[in-house]
This record gives sequence, C-alpha cells and structure tokens, in this order.
Amino acid sequence: MATQDRSSYAEGFGQVSRTVGTVFRYLLLASTLFGIAVLAILLVYVANDAVQPLTADPGWHLTFFLTLVLPTLATAGYLAATNLEALKFGSMTIGLIVVSLLFSGGVAIIFIEVLAPLVWFAYVLAFAVPTVLMIALQRRSRQLSFLTRFVVVALAFYTSLFGLPGVVPSVAALVQSAPFVPLDWVLLTLTLGLFASAPTASYAAGIRDRRTGLGVGVLALAAVAASPFIGPPVFGIGTVPSVILASVTVVPTVAFVGGTAVTREHARIGILVPLLIVGGALAGEVLVDTLGYAGPQSWVDWQFLTSDHSGTAEDAGLYPAIAGSILLMVTVAALSFPVGVGAALYLEEYAPDNRITRFIDVNISNLAGVPSVVYGLLGLGLFVTQLGRPSGTIFVGGATLALLILPIVIISSREAIRSVPDEMRQASYGMGATKWQTVKNVILPRAFPGILTGTILALGRAIGETAPLIMIGAPNVLFSFPSELSSKVSAMPLQVYSWASYFATDAFYEKAVPAGVVILVTVLLAMNSIAIVLRNRYEQET
Amino acid sequence: MSTDDLTDDLTRNTANAPPELLTRSFFFLCAVLSIFVTIGIIGLLVTEAAKFFSITAPLMGVEGPTASVVDFLTGTEWIINNEQFGVLALVTSTLMVTFGSALIALPLGVGTAIYLSEYADPQLRAVLKPALEILAGIPTVVYGFFALIYITPALRVVFPSIGTFNLLSASIVVGIMIIPMVASISEDAMSAVPDDLRQAGYGMGATKFEVSTGIVVPAALSGILSSFILALSRAIGETMAVTVAAGAQAKFHNPFNPAAYLDGGSPMTATMVNLLTGDVTGGGLAYRSLFAIGLTLFVITFAMNVISELIAQRYREEY
Amino acid sequence: MSQENMSNDNVESATEDPTDDDMILETDVAAGLEEGSETVRTARERSIVEANGINVWYNDEQALQDITMSVPENQVTAMIGPSGCGKSTFLRCINRMNDMIDAARVEGELYLGEKNVYDPDVDPVALRRRVGMVFQKPNPFPKSIYDNVAYGLKIQDIGGNHDEIVEESLKRAALWDEVKDQLDESGLDLSGGQQQRLCIARAIAPDPEVILMDEPASALDPVATSKIEDLIDELAEDYTVIIVTHNMQQAARISDKTAVFLTGGELVEFDDTKTIFENPEHERVEDYITGKFG
Repeated sequence: MATQDRSSYAEGFGQVSRTVGTVFRYLLLASTLFGIAVLAILLVYVANDAVQPLTADPGWHLTFFLTLVLPTLATAGYLAATNLEALKFGSMTIGLIVVSLLFSGGVAIIFIEVLAPLVWFAYVLAFAVPTVLMIALQRRSRQLSFLTRFVVVALAFYTSLFGLPGVVPSVAALVQSAPFVPLDWVLLTLTLGLFASAPTASYAAGIRDRRTGLGVGVLALAAVAASPFIGPPVFGIGTVPSVILASVTVVPTVAFVGGTAVTREHARIGILVPLLIVGGALAGEVLVDTLGYAGPQSWVDWQFLTSDHSGTAEDAGLYPAIAGSILLMVTVAALSFPVGVGAALYLEEYAPDNRITRFIDVNISNLAGVPSVVYGLLGLGLFVTQLGRPSGTIFVGGATLALLILPIVIISSREAIRSVPDEMRQASYGMGATKWQTVKNVILPRAFPGILTGTILALGRAIGETAPLIMIGAPNVLFSFPSELSSKVSAMPLQVYSWASYFATDAFYEKAVPAGVVILVTVLLAMNSIAIVLRNRYEQET
Repeated sequence: MSTDDLTDDLTRNTANAPPELLTRSFFFLCAVLSIFVTIGIIGLLVTEAAKFFSITAPLMGVEGPTASVVDFLTGTEWIINNEQFGVLALVTSTLMVTFGSALIALPLGVGTAIYLSEYADPQLRAVLKPALEILAGIPTVVYGFFALIYITPALRVVFPSIGTFNLLSASIVVGIMIIPMVASISEDAMSAVPDDLRQAGYGMGATKFEVSTGIVVPAALSGILSSFILALSRAIGETMAVTVAAGAQAKFHNPFNPAAYLDGGSPMTATMVNLLTGDVTGGGLAYRSLFAIGLTLFVITFAMNVISELIAQRYREEY
Repeated sequence: MSQENMSNDNVESATEDPTDDDMILETDVAAGLEEGSETVRTARERSIVEANGINVWYNDEQALQDITMSVPENQVTAMIGPSGCGKSTFLRCINRMNDMIDAARVEGELYLGEKNVYDPDVDPVALRRRVGMVFQKPNPFPKSIYDNVAYGLKIQDIGGNHDEIVEESLKRAALWDEVKDQLDESGLDLSGGQQQRLCIARAIAPDPEVILMDEPASALDPVATSKIEDLIDELAEDYTVIIVTHNMQQAARISDKTAVFLTGGELVEFDDTKTIFENPEHERVEDYITGKFG
C-alpha cells in the first residue's frame, strides 16, 4: 500500500544512529584538548612553585580580588556580551603594555650593561651620515653611474664606521673622543626618542594630516625628553631606564590607544580594561601596604631577575642568562634574517625551474628536519675545531643557532612571498620593472608582515634551544656578564638546564628552576603571541 | 620619439645592470649557502666518524685508540671509560622513547587533525590552532623539567618502582611535543581532499562520522603517513627533554619489554649532550664517538625525512 | 605626435555614442565609416606593430598559428574571438609577457617600429617600458595613488617634475577630478572602475608607444565600462591602443580595426571594424559575429 510505504519511509528517516558519531566527535575534541590541557596543568604547577601564591595572607588575596580581579572580570564580561570589539581593543592594549615592558627591560639591560649610550650614539651617527649621503646621491642618480654611487657610498660607510687609519678618523671615533659629552639620557633621547616618535608621527599623519602628524611627533619627543625628570622622583628609576621606558613602552602604547580611540569610536570603551587593571593593581598595592598584609614569597622577583648565578638556590639569579639570550637573539636575527629572506627571494622570484633549484628545494626541507644536536656538532666542528674560534662564545652560539633556524626562516619567507598576488608581479613587470625593482617595490613590502611573523617564530625557537649551546661548549654557569660577541654565552634555557642537572638539589628544583621556567615561558609566549597577532592582522588584510 | 631611439631603447640591457647583478648574485649565494650547510654537516660527521672507526682511521692518518665498526653497530654496552662503544645501548632507548611518544602523538594528532578540518567551526579553529602551536613553542628543556619534577612523581602513584629518571615520562612529554606536528601536516592533507568527495558521501546519505573516517581519512592517508614519519624523526632527534627526563645511564633494554619504560636510559641525543658536559677531552676517542653517534642519528633522521617527502609528493600529485 | 586631424573624428564618434543597445552596432560602425577610408590609407603607411608568422606553443599545444598582421599607429585595434582562441596570448607576445611563462615558446618576428622584439639583443624589460599594459582585473599596487602613477617614472629613473606628469596622466585617464584631493591615499581604496582608470593612468605616465589592454572592462559594471570606453577613444588621439575583448559590441563601438581570432589560435580575418561587422569575408567570422557559435 502506498500509505504504508510512506509511513515506513518516514520512520526510516529517524533510524540512522548518531550515537557513534556523537561519541566520535567528543573523542576528537578530547584528543584536541588533551595536549593543551596537560600543558596548562603543568604550567599552573610550575607557576605555583615559582610564585607561591598560597604563602600570601588571605587579606592580600582578598584585597587584590576586590580591587583588581572583580572589576576587571565584571567589565570584561560585560564587554564580551555587548561589545566584543571593545574587549579586543582592551586586551590588545594590555598585551601591548606587557610585551613592550618586556622589550624595554631587554633594551635597558643592553644599554646598562653592554652598550654604553655614547658608543651607541656614535654608531647611530656613523650610520646616519653616509645614509643621508646615499639618499642625496640617489636623487642625482641620472648624472652619476650606479658604480660611482656604489663606490662612493661604500667608501662613505666604511670611513664613517671604521675610519681610514692615519688619514681620517671614523665618525664613530670622532664622536667618542669629543671633548664635551652630553649626559647618557640626552643621547638616548636623541636616538631612541627619535626612533619612537618618527613612526608615531607618520601613524598620526596617516589618520589625520601632515600637520597633526608633525604635532604628535613633537609631542612624543617632548614626552621622551621629559621622562628623565619624571621617572627618578616619581617611580624611583634611573634616568636611562626612564628614557627607554618612555620611548619603548609609553609612546607606542599611547599612540596605539589614541589612534584606535580616534579611528574606531565604537571600540573606545575598551580602554576601561587596561585602566582597571593598572588602576586596580596600584590601588591594591597601596591598600595592602597600609593594611600590612604580606604578599606571596615569590621566587620570581626583582632579586631573581637582577642577580647572577649562585650556589644557593635562594640567591641564584637569571641576569647573565637573560642578557645572554638577548645578545644571542640579536646575533641570530642579524645573521639569519638577510640570508633567509635572500634565499627565499632567489627560490621564489629568480630561480629557473631546473635541477639545481629542485635540489636546493629538497635540501632545505631536509635541513629543517635535522636534529638540533647535529647543528650543535656542526658548530663545534666548524667554528670551534676547524676555524679555531674560542668555544662557547656568543658569536659561535649565535652563528650555530642561525644555521639551525635558517631553513625555517627560508620556508616561512617563501610562503609569505608566494602569497603576494600574481597580479602585482604582472603589473610591475608589465610596466617594465626589472626583477630587483619588482622585488624591492612590490614584493618585499607586501610580503614583509608574513616574513616577520615567520622570523619571530623561528627566533623563539632559537632562544628556546639548549642542545646546540651545550655542544659548542657554552659554560654551565656564568658569573660574569656577557658583554660582547666574544664573551662566553649563557642563555635562559641553558641556565635552567644546568640548575636542573648540576645543582640537582630539592632547593633548586623547588625555587630557582621553576622561577627560571616561568620567565623563559613568559618570554616565549610573548614572542609567539606577537607572531600570531601579526599573522591574524596580515591575513585579514589580504 | 623617432624609431632609431626606439631601437636603441629596446636593446638597452637592464638584466645585467649593476644593481640587478649585485642583488641577484647575493640572493643566489644565500640560496646556495644551504647546500654548503648540508655539505658541511655531512663532511664533518663523516670525517670525524671516520677517525673513530678502526677500519677508516688509518686512511685519515689517525693514530691511537679506535673502535671497530662491528662492535659499534652490534655492541650493547656503552661505557666510555672501558672504551666500549655499543651504539645499540643508545639506539634501543631512542627507539623506546620514539615508540612511546608515537603511541601518544599519532592517535591524538590525527584526532586533532580530523576535528580541526571536519568538525570545528572557524571561530573555534582560530583559538585551537594557536594554542596547539604553543605546545610546539615551549622549549624542550622545559618539557624535560616537567617530566622530571611533575610527571614522574605522578606516575610513581601508579608504578611504585619507577626510577627518578625513566623512559616513560620522557615518552609522554616528547609525545605531547610532537602532537602539533602530526596535527598540522595531517590537517593540511585533509583540507586538500576535494570537497566533491565529501559531497558525494553526504549525497549517499552518509553521516559526518562516516564521511570523516570512510572518505576523508583514506583520501588523506599518504599525507597522514608522511606526518607520522616526520614526527617520529623529530622524536628521534629530540634532545633536551630526554636528556633531563631519561637520565644519563646508557643501558641496553629489550624494547619489547614494557617494564623497561620504568627504567632510565640514555638515548643517542642525551648521550651526546652528556658526553660534552662530562668528560670529553678534545680530540680523544670519546670526542670522536660523538660524531659517530651524530652520523648515526643524521642518517636515520635524514632517511626518514626523505621517505616522508616522497610520500607527501605522492599525495600532492593525487589532487 | 601630430594626429590632430584624426583625433577630431574620434572625439566626435565618442560623443555620438548611442545609448540604445540595439542601435549600437549600426550607428557606431556608420560613424566609423566616414573616416574609414582615409584612416586605413594612413595606417598602411605607418604601422607601429607588425607581426610576421608568429607561432606560440604552450608545451606541445599550439596556441597561435602563424599570425601575420600589422597594427596601425594611433588607432584602436580590437582583437575578438571565443575564449581560448589565443587573442590574449597574442597581446602578451607584443610586450613579451609570455617570456614569464616557462612553458611558452614563441617563434616568428614581431616588429615594434623597425626592431624585431624577438631579436636576441632586445631586452624584454626595456621593451615593456615602451609598451604600456592594462590587465583584465584592476591591479593597482598597494601604494598611494600618486606612487602608483609615478611607478613607471620611478623605475625608469625619469627625472624632472613627477607632479606634473602624474597630474597630466590622471587627467588623461579622466580620474584627476575624483582623486586630486586624495593622492596620498591607497590606490586600493578606490572603486573597481576608478582602480582600472588608475591602472590606465599608470600605463600612460611613462609615455609608451603602444598601450595593450587585456579585456580592461570585463570585471567592471556597465557605468564604469562606458567610462573606460570613452577613455579609450580619447587615448587614441595620442596612442596606439590594442585591446582584447570578448564583447563584440564593445569592439564595434570603440575600435577602428578588428582582428577576429577563432579556436585553434588562428587569425581568420583582420580588417576595418566596419567591414568585419557588416560584410565579413569569411563565413566563420559571420557565424561568430551573428552569434551562431562561440
């Protein structure tokens, strides 16, 4: 019967069982979350060991809960429900503050310990003079051949940086031997302050017009110049850290907040989140002080960050290792970035499709899979044994790590270059641009955010590496400060490893190692999140 | 413009103008540098390892103690002071860690990949993918410390006889570390499966479960396999986590004996680190043994990378 | 460039542009008719691009078969045909953009002025500096409007006052009035039609001999399309324009001469536009024009 048939069909629609599918779905979700959850638990454990929040008075917790946590959570919850964009803006600001504070710390260490502001100023000037000359020559490119210009500029750079012995002193030396030397903070204001206010000015000019941009730039520079008079009396920090803090943290943060507030009115309210966090923290601090509640006995404290290694866990600090990691990172970036991007450009834009190219191609993906210890052996055998460089120096460590991340930088740069739309190339070549003109004017600007993302991730990998440093003979403990390329290197992961293996006492396991792990993980998470935020923005644009 | 000018203009050579030549040669040098790195690695490992073995040492003009290739490849004792270099004592530990981490990472990685490519909505993916990347971004020495300080004591509750240094905790952290690698490469392979195939499945009345397991996974199989091999090669080369967690005592284990996981061992990479932080004197036999292990490690991982590349190429050709 | 007498005719025909779609073919061709005979004669004397037995292969597949034609100076030459007939391939032979495709192989001679551009001593980059090109999809650079137009001047190291040339080019591309206050803004912020006119301004800024257009209006809406068509008409005052189009009415509206390519990469007929559309020599061309196939 027709009707019976129909009803049996109708029943049949409900008969396909979804039970297996549902179970499967949740199994998949569980497997996705497993690794993340385990890592989260481990991080909570290590943070607990390092910070020891339970040693604080209950009143301390209560105070901060009331001043900091509750208002922030309430506002964030409200914004999450009503205005997600504002919440995003607020969290970005907080993230920017944290990241830029970390960055200022690194810069401050460099200027206090490694690089005297005068030397820095001298070299900035020594670079600036020939650069201006180069731009001036570029303007006259029609009268002078490329070779002439190239020789003149190269000579100018060399003279300015190193001088001609016995004939002309270098600009760098000239500045350093000047009879009158301004104060350190003046030198830093002139350099870092300018570096910070110039992009701020162009950002403001992009939003409004040139005059506003100029005004904002002058204002930013004035703020940096004023900082050494505000920093010491109000916050009790020196003049040099004040200038660094102003130009690396304050100016960019204010610029970002101001720019967003002007351009995206809807998100403006999100500024509440960072205000509440900063204000709540300050209010809590004042209250706790007046009420006399004791805070947690954290192992991650100022003392830990600024002391050298010690045989006793309580006194051990990470300072030389932090500085070593910063110097390593600078060296690795300086070595691997130009070479990696150059190789990627060659393979994507220049290389003919032939056997050599394919061989290089396969070779690079194989190099990416070579274990890091083997790179360590390469560093040991090549730089130390064959070339006779002293073992365990920053240069040898940096060069080894640069070789290690080179394939990663090449692969990610190639992806970024490949994602530049072909129409752009066609347009440029169609106008009669040469390869290099196309690369310089069209491809590099467009691929740059992607290249930067890949490089930051690779640098994160490099400063997390321990094995290659051990292989090249980096010392287990370092008491003195690494201050130049030929000093012995220490690095945060290496220090953590030596605490965990050579000073394997319970005291170290419970105090110094967790504190070191927390610092190391914080730095790496910050780098990863910069890269991820950069990539998300970049992907939205394209 | 007159035609003469035009002809002159057309024949002006721009390709070899100085800026072009300069930049092109620089970029070419950068690309070729990678070949030199490979040559450097292979050359160094081979020459130093050649000085280690008694067969080849005379060719290298090396005098003094050497080790026999046969003993190296078949010996089961690794005791530097006795000059006993049996690499099997190290290889078995490496294999056990690799196998143990594979047990964790392969199923979880594939599960993650299926979830991300077939089930998760874009918003969830936007959160989960960076979170997974962070798993791979944590320094390996930190993982080693986690294994030593938190995971081993937790395991002691279940296995009271577990050693302070053991292969089990090392396997667990290495497994967690390589999940993102399996997941991201497998997901790429699954995303490359054309939507037509899925549509065909749904058109036949298949459920999402049936489409995922019956159509997508088989279609992406070679990609998944290549991710497995790459991840295992990564596990073999993993150094700091196993150095901290598995210990330094080289011991030959029966890899098929699960109880051996509770015991410590010294995988190849850990041995290399310990050799350098311990008693290596430059140029001695122990120093050269470093390169012999390095060569073994390099050959194994290199072979696995090549195999994985070959498999991956096959799946790229399929679609 | 002394083409004043001819340009007047072109401007007239442009202003006469009929609005009624059905009328377009007839009227426009009729408008072209008046000047036709004279133009053709001038053209025979001065042809700027001459192809002589051009064959193109992609791997083993032949994309163009023995193309021989000569394109008259300061006129609009249209190339029409069904998709895959090789008309774009031929366009890209003129400025050697096909060189960028590894699989492509070109044989034959192609003269720009008196020089065979496939001579071994010709630098394709130098060639492209004398031949402007406008692509199917508007492709301004992610730079400011000013920098987009000045791009050709910059890469060719042309000195002097760029501001003037940029303004002049934007005026010729009928874009100046719309963008003169926002020269610093990104070219990508413009609408599709404006972007395409920006690309035209970019192409004419270095004063090329020939402008190649590869279906320049196919990605645009009807209003933007008609603006581009007016513009092409005006450009023919000073430039030789070679345009590929899949739209026969467009070819009839704007071109002086039309080349019909048919499947297999064959140039079937090349003549005055009027002749092609009213009285084609080949039956296949008539079938294609009247829509019997293609």
